[in-house]
Amino acid sequence: MSIEQYKGDMEMCCRCSACKHIPLQMVRNPAHSYACPSIAKYNYHAYSGSGRLIIGREALSKGINYTDRLLDIVYNCQMCGACDISCKYAMDMEVLEPISEFRMKCVEDGHANPALDKVINGLHKTGSMVPVKGKRGDWAEGLNLKNATKEKVDVLYHVGCLTSYDKDMQKLAKATAKILQKAGVNFGIAGDAETCCGGRAYQMGYREDFLNQAKKNMALIKKAGVKTLVTGCADGYQAFKVLYDKYNLKGDLEVLHITEYIDRLIKQGKLKLTKKVNLNVTYHDPCRLGRLSEPWIHWEGKKIPGYKFVFDPPKTYRRGTNGIYAPPRDILASIPGIKLTEMDRIKEYSWCCGAGGGVNESNPEFAAWTANKRIEEATSTGAEALVSACPWCESNFNKTLKATGSSLKVYDIVELVAKAI
Amino acid sequence: MVVEAKFAKIVGAGNASSQKETLEEYSRDMSFVNPVRPAFIVRPKTAAEIEKIVNLANETNTPLVPVSSGSPHFRGDTVPGTGGVVIVDLSGMKKIIKITRHNRVAMVEPGVTFAELIPAVTREGLRLNMPLLPRQSKSVVGSMLEREPVIMPKYQWDSSDPLACIEVVFGNGETFRTGQAAGPGTIEEQWAAGGVQKTPYGPGPAQWQRLVQGAQGTMGIVTWASLRCELLPELEQPFVVGSANLGKLTDLAHWLVRMKLVNECFMVNNTDLAAIMAEKWPTDYCDLKDSLPRWILFYNVAGYHYSPEERVSTQIKGITDICKQVGVEPVKAAGKVSANEILKTVQKPSGEPYWKLRYKGACQDIFFITIYDKLERQLSIMNELANQYGFQSSDIGIYLQPMVQGTNCHCEFNLFYDPTNPREVARVKTLYTKATEALMKVGAFFSRPYDTTARMIVNQNAASVDALNRVKGVLDPNHIMNPGKLCF
Amino acid sequence: MAISKEAYKEIEDVVGPENISDDPSIKDAYRSQYLTVVLPGNTEEVAAVVKLFNKHKIPFQVQSTGWSFYPPEYDFIFVDMRRMNRIIEINEKNMYAVVEPYVIVAELQAELFKRGLTCNMKGSGANTTALAMSGHGHMGLSTGTGDRNDLATEWVTDEGEIIRLGTVGASGEWFCGDGPGPSLRGVIRIGGVMTKQSTKIYHWGGPTKYALEGNSPRYTLPEIPANMMVRYYSFPTVEKLIEAELKIGESEIAFELMGFCPSMVSSNITTNNEEDFATLERFTKEVQGPGFMVIIIGNFPGDFEYKKMVLEQIIKETKGKSLKAVEDHNAEATLLFQCTRVTGSIRETFRAGGMFSSMMVQGQRYDLHVEWLEQAAVWKRELIKKGLIIADDGQQFGWGEEQGHLGHTEIFCRYNPYDADSFKAVHDWMDKVAKLALTGHYSVPVNSALPIEEIGSQACNYHIWLGKIKQAFDPNLVGARTGFSYVGADTAGAHTLVYPPKPPAKQP
Repeated sequence: MSIEQYKGDMEMCCRCSACKHIPLQMVRNPAHSYACPSIAKYNYHAYSGSGRLIIGREALSKGINYTDRLLDIVYNCQMCGACDISCKYAMDMEVLEPISEFRMKCVEDGHANPALDKVINGLHKTGSMVPVKGKRGDWAEGLNLKNATKEKVDVLYHVGCLTSYDKDMQKLAKATAKILQKAGVNFGIAGDAETCCGGRAYQMGYREDFLNQAKKNMALIKKAGVKTLVTGCADGYQAFKVLYDKYNLKGDLEVLHITEYIDRLIKQGKLKLTKKVNLNVTYHDPCRLGRLSEPWIHWEGKKIPGYKFVFDPPKTYRRGTNGIYAPPRDILASIPGIKLTEMDRIKEYSWCCGAGGGVNESNPEFAAWTANKRIEEATSTGAEALVSACPWCESNFNKTLKATGSSLKVYDIVELVAKAI
Repeated sequence: MVVEAKFAKIVGAGNASSQKETLEEYSRDMSFVNPVRPAFIVRPKTAAEIEKIVNLANETNTPLVPVSSGSPHFRGDTVPGTGGVVIVDLSGMKKIIKITRHNRVAMVEPGVTFAELIPAVTREGLRLNMPLLPRQSKSVVGSMLEREPVIMPKYQWDSSDPLACIEVVFGNGETFRTGQAAGPGTIEEQWAAGGVQKTPYGPGPAQWQRLVQGAQGTMGIVTWASLRCELLPELEQPFVVGSANLGKLTDLAHWLVRMKLVNECFMVNNTDLAAIMAEKWPTDYCDLKDSLPRWILFYNVAGYHYSPEERVSTQIKGITDICKQVGVEPVKAAGKVSANEILKTVQKPSGEPYWKLRYKGACQDIFFITIYDKLERQLSIMNELANQYGFQSSDIGIYLQPMVQGTNCHCEFNLFYDPTNPREVARVKTLYTKATEALMKVGAFFSRPYDTTARMIVNQNAASVDALNRVKGVLDPNHIMNPGKLCF
Repeated sequence: MAISKEAYKEIEDVVGPENISDDPSIKDAYRSQYLTVVLPGNTEEVAAVVKLFNKHKIPFQVQSTGWSFYPPEYDFIFVDMRRMNRIIEINEKNMYAVVEPYVIVAELQAELFKRGLTCNMKGSGANTTALAMSGHGHMGLSTGTGDRNDLATEWVTDEGEIIRLGTVGASGEWFCGDGPGPSLRGVIRIGGVMTKQSTKIYHWGGPTKYALEGNSPRYTLPEIPANMMVRYYSFPTVEKLIEAELKIGESEIAFELMGFCPSMVSSNITTNNEEDFATLERFTKEVQGPGFMVIIIGNFPGDFEYKKMVLEQIIKETKGKSLKAVEDHNAEATLLFQCTRVTGSIRETFRAGGMFSSMMVQGQRYDLHVEWLEQAAVWKRELIKKGLIIADDGQQFGWGEEQGHLGHTEIFCRYNPYDADSFKAVHDWMDKVAKLALTGHYSVPVNSALPIEEIGSQACNYHIWLGKIKQAFDPNLVGARTGFSYVGADTAGAHTLVYPPKPPAKQP
């Protein structure tokens, strides 16, 4: 993979600015018409999907002219993929892939963001993307969970860095364990042996570190002999399901997000949600559970010479059509007492929580700004609570809410399910 | 050769005049503008003559005042604003150059009146989007150049409508054609290629006709203009809705225009409708007025070639539903006036004498553009001022014309007065000025300012005055065109 | 550095350091290394920076949403209007909306639909500015066209003077843009910056929002909303098509009449190039000749039935044939929201090859422009045969505006702008078509296809007049000078020209 392979895609950009907004027929409110946090905040065209492609195309002709501003542009992007989906409503071209490759090129050229470098150094040392206190499996103490590296289980629950180590997020792991136990699933965790999926390293531009983590994880999985992996982290989910597959590392591992799995358990009658949870909620589609979770499409081909942008064999684009949108909504519909009101930007054109692409670490102020926009949107629905399905979203929303003093509550969907069983 | 003789040479001696009586005629009109006697009158017959006249005027620094309608004039725009003026009277240029049914367009010289053009377009199956009851002598081109409101707001997409293209001799003596008429090629070459002169845009990013409209002859002299025409309906069903509550009528007018359900659509008060419809004066007028509700909305539902009956009945049904929601009832007659009679009347120019003169012999209009939300306050201020200055407020005729497909509304107060009664004249003159001042303060927009109030109105917006003068500097650098008018 | 440090600092003092940049990467994204970008946040800032451009004699160009941008080859300031994106007012009863330049149509329309109203949408799409401006659009039959939708306007001249046209200059209201006296609407597209504008809005008989289902790119409607219908008809000859267009305009039955070629229909209803080309092949076999798409919207059920009945009669009289594929629910639904809410332009123009170059004209479609661009189509097919441009139907297309009083006619070539042969061929074709416009007395062609002098000399020397007026408002000659084709704060939809790999223009 390299930026060069996307030359044709970058040349296709006609600067129509569709990448800045959600698909136009979905615009229902001028306050919620933007898809891309970066252009919405920083205004210069360079911060849009189109601007990034044009810069990339120029770089292919004349090399990259590294300036502080260029790096500001490169790293102030959540890699949320909203531009990609909006563009591909009409166009046949890759948008997020070249943007991602450009960032990787920056990292390879020694122009990594210092804050992200620090995170990656931490990853090297601890196998975690978040600061480590104690051991990775400490949260499970006293829960009698199986260790999948030692015992045979049907399902490996990959907890993820934030949920494992962050004291405020461990409740999600506990809720998940409770749900799986209640449903009688034969599952286990890797405990202290679990390591980062590498997904966030990939978003930050560190391809090699991602690959290292991926290989470690797949070795563990292979050794444990599990066929199904479940995770509650959207970043982890996308890494295992899509990125590992992109690099031919996934094999036939079945990767499920916890919302898919719970939805399946409910529909199979293995999980019954009986307790009332009286709450008006709205649901936030995490980028990597939603639009970016679409299975990787392996394709190799060449552009057919000539004026058309077509390929042999024909290329099928990932356009966000097949993200995980229904399961979380079906679960919410199954919880007695929950009333769901949708926001203006949902599913494939959902607005990012702000925490992706390393922005959480490299520019917390931008992460909070982005989260705040979403909180405003959620509040405008009249909901009491914003429900997500990713610890990074919940964590970023909560941090931002604390600063604003809003009364909006934030839940991960597993917390609500745990209340209902 | 004296200057007058040079002008006379251009048009021929028979078309020039410096006779005292003639000059006197052009020195004044029915407005309160001070009379100024022109030096000379020329009556050109061709565009070439006009171009020569303007060039000569530039050479000799002679001010020109173009006039296209016949008398009586009402707004002071054709009264010289300075001494030594040569009046360029275009009323003799009466060619109807072309009417094209297929493209719904007509092209006429400035002397063509509504009375002359209506039968010509009717023969082709077309009709004009007319102002309300123009006087017999009113030039079609003049009316369009003045941006007179028209009675079918549905067909007025832009304030410049129905004007399409013009040929104009700018003040610097150069001839220019606007919109599609500009070129490529001569008008004849354009016709040969299948073209008509209808598209108003450009050429280029400028919209030239907009600079000549509303200019009162200060930018140049128009030698012909084309105008969009509408189709002649095959079936028409006019209605009136009367009410003491104007708000209900403006609500209804909003929906009728918004949904493009009706052709003719305007509102008048009882004074104006009686003044328009009365035949025998003063008995008819009083009877009619007494029989009428305070406000009358008139509208006309039309059907064209395809199933006109069905179209008309469908629209009427839709309108009936809207009327129910608004709380009014459309009927075929208001008091002693039937909707059919109104329709017949307003589809022609005014009979003689001109309807505004029948009541008392003179009429001073106060007109401006507004929006419905502001009307109530503006009407009440007008009433207060009328009372204050001793003018019977129930004697004020009021005409409300939704414009530009409902984006705004022309509001016109007709102050009928006896020109032979000095006290009445003085009262109206004061009321006219005071009301203009007061109405401006409550959002009345005097888009077409004339006569004694023009400068006060224009000077409200210094930046606009500066910009207009820059345009003027290009089109009429020597300021020979109608000096003293507007901000020039 | 493109401009002096002193000038940079003074501009920075007005807009703040975060809103001015001459960093190479910022410039790259605007496709020019000659520019310094300034992002003003309000009218006063626009006026202040333009005054500074004059003081320092720095040329500037302005754009709101834009599509492509054609940068000059000299140091200049690019004023990006992105930060001015507020809807100032929607006045329902008086049928106007007031917007800043970076409000896009999709945003304004979303608010208007809620009130049963809509604005015009430029052909360039709902992704472009909601200012009335110059762009014409598919809905022009019932929502007017280009600058004819302008009402009151706030305009900053090339010298930095704020001029408020019409009512906004008199009382701060937005309902009229003309006067007092002559209307300055006549000159505001020659230069300067539009900072706020009131635009006419229109009744919308459709739903307050489309109840769309599915996920991108396959959105659909569970059912066609009440009193709405979309059809595509092809005709045996151009003459029959024109007859039908005229009759539909005159009978006032259609909301939209868009003279799509079959290739444009297939682009709009398909989600990728391969599907598009296959669909076009099917359509080409089914249509009998040139065609158009019609959208009927009834204000109420009886109105809808009447309009449908008349449409059927007209189609029968003109021997039109309905394209069955468009009667399919999904195709009809897609065309409905594509054409009233999105515009088809991105799918139908850019997707296939990355670029398109267009010869377009507003005005008298019938008997004149259609004839001219039918000849352009003959020449276009030669390029198709040579494999230089996308093989589509090779047709002209267009639509009626203001119930057929006016119209838009256009033809474009889609191609890869990075292919030198294609680029040259399309450029030559544009020149040839433009020359025919002049020699055949058809129209003033898009300005920059030919030297402005060549065009202007055949159209009352309008370029000289424009130059004079331009200079009256821009004595320091710092405003945009792109062959006088500049259209205020936006180029969207007005000049979709050949995308030059290098900036084409030299400062005059």
